[in-house]
Amino acid sequence: MARAAQLGGRLDAVVFAACVLVALVFSGLPEPMRDPVASALRRTIVAPLIGMQRGAERWRAAWLESERQTLQRDSAGMFRAKSKSLEMENDRLRKLLGLGSRLDWGFVPAEALHTEGRTEDVITSMTLTAGSAAGVSQYSPVVAPEGIVGLVQTVDPRMSIAILYSHPDFRVSAMSADGAAFGIVYPHLDVGPGRLSERYLLELRNVPFRSTLAIGAQIFSSGVGGAWPRGVLIGTVVDSVAETERWSRTYLVRPAVNPAHVTSVMILTSERVLQGVGNIWTVSPPGDATRPLTVRRDSVRRDSLRRDSLRLDTIPPVRF
Amino acid sequence: MRSSLAVRTATMCAILIVMHYTVRPLLGWRTSIDFLLIALVFGSVRMRPAAAAVFGLVLGLATDSLALGAFGAGALAATIVGFASSWLKAVFFADNVALNAIFLFAGKWLFDLVYVLMSRRMRGIEMLSQLLLWTPLTALVTAVAGVLVVTLLRPVYQGRTA
Repeated sequence: MARAAQLGGRLDAVVFAACVLVALVFSGLPEPMRDPVASALRRTIVAPLIGMQRGAERWRAAWLESERQTLQRDSAGMFRAKSKSLEMENDRLRKLLGLGSRLDWGFVPAEALHTEGRTEDVITSMTLTAGSAAGVSQYSPVVAPEGIVGLVQTVDPRMSIAILYSHPDFRVSAMSADGAAFGIVYPHLDVGPGRLSERYLLELRNVPFRSTLAIGAQIFSSGVGGAWPRGVLIGTVVDSVAETERWSRTYLVRPAVNPAHVTSVMILTSERVLQGVGNIWTVSPPGDATRPLTVRRDSVRRDSLRRDSLRLDTIPPVRF
Repeated sequence: MRSSLAVRTATMCAILIVMHYTVRPLLGWRTSIDFLLIALVFGSVRMRPAAAAVFGLVLGLATDSLALGAFGAGALAATIVGFASSWLKAVFFADNVALNAIFLFAGKWLFDLVYVLMSRRMRGIEMLSQLLLWTPLTALVTAVAGVLVVTLLRPVYQGRTA
């Protein structure tokens, strides 16, 4: 038994030595002699394995290609969405520049920051990036190119918090464009379940019964009370509300400003409120800021052409 | 009984060889799993050392046929690893997960060491980084994958137990 084991061990050693020798011989063979052996192996036992490897690598290439295409599609989609939002922001900023040039003085520009991670369903307040250091005071009116946004509630040196027209405490005395109907604008709080979008509507209350307003009529601040200057656009009448009292009317007003789109605003200073805003919102909506620039550029070009022609007139004729 | 064990071992080795040419290219990792080495070690520990040496030689020659200029290096490395696995398994007779993992790790490291030295393709820093960084990483990945695969495929190579 021990002899058989010894024999087996010796056989193992011999076979191992033979295998090592074969491997070393193959390793030491010159290339022209090695290649036929390698080629024969490649054509026989390795060929199906290589076929499988080719298939697996094709699968991997296809997978990577599809991943690359998905990434390209995603980035193209993101770029498109971003360009759309940039376009909107650009449009808003142009309008704001237009409003700034119309107001000319008595305002503080600020960025409106919507609080991230808010739990409320309806936006009722926002943080503004200008504070008392820039001349903002409590109850300063906040406006956008489209009209009324809200009222500053608390002021810090570098920032302030404003309530929007959707806030339950918001009030503004209002009137129709022709000044025939007066009332007070409140937020529309009485909204049924599932109709949350209506929460952003406003109510024009206490309009005298004799004054009727048509659907689509524009409503402006009346300046009564002194908090708001006269003539800032609030919104348009969309419906009338049935009243139990018979001596006054109430109308639903769609605000001119969409709070979701408010990114930059103007805060009116107290001097400007006292002075008034004139007919900035009543005559026509604040237009594109590029329009006055274009007009100015054209007039400069006209002037330069005129100067050139004058200069030509003054050049003495050349004598040959 | 012995023939059924041989068939099961051959089946298991065939599965692992196929995985080397299908799963490995799909993964495409820098430290790739060497399923051929798992097959070599798995088969060798179930064979006599002489048979394991022949198995290693054949497997090594087959893979060397695709490596231009290094023909014989893989065959030598696989022969040494196969014989050593079989002989060591006979000395340390045990069948547990840790021992299998150590066998696979040491086998892969020894294979790469012999292969790199024999093929004479790398020198200096490149050879050191291969042997001291990439080979241990590849050996580790191969050991972990080998233990997982062998555990998952246990029904294939153990068959029915009474």
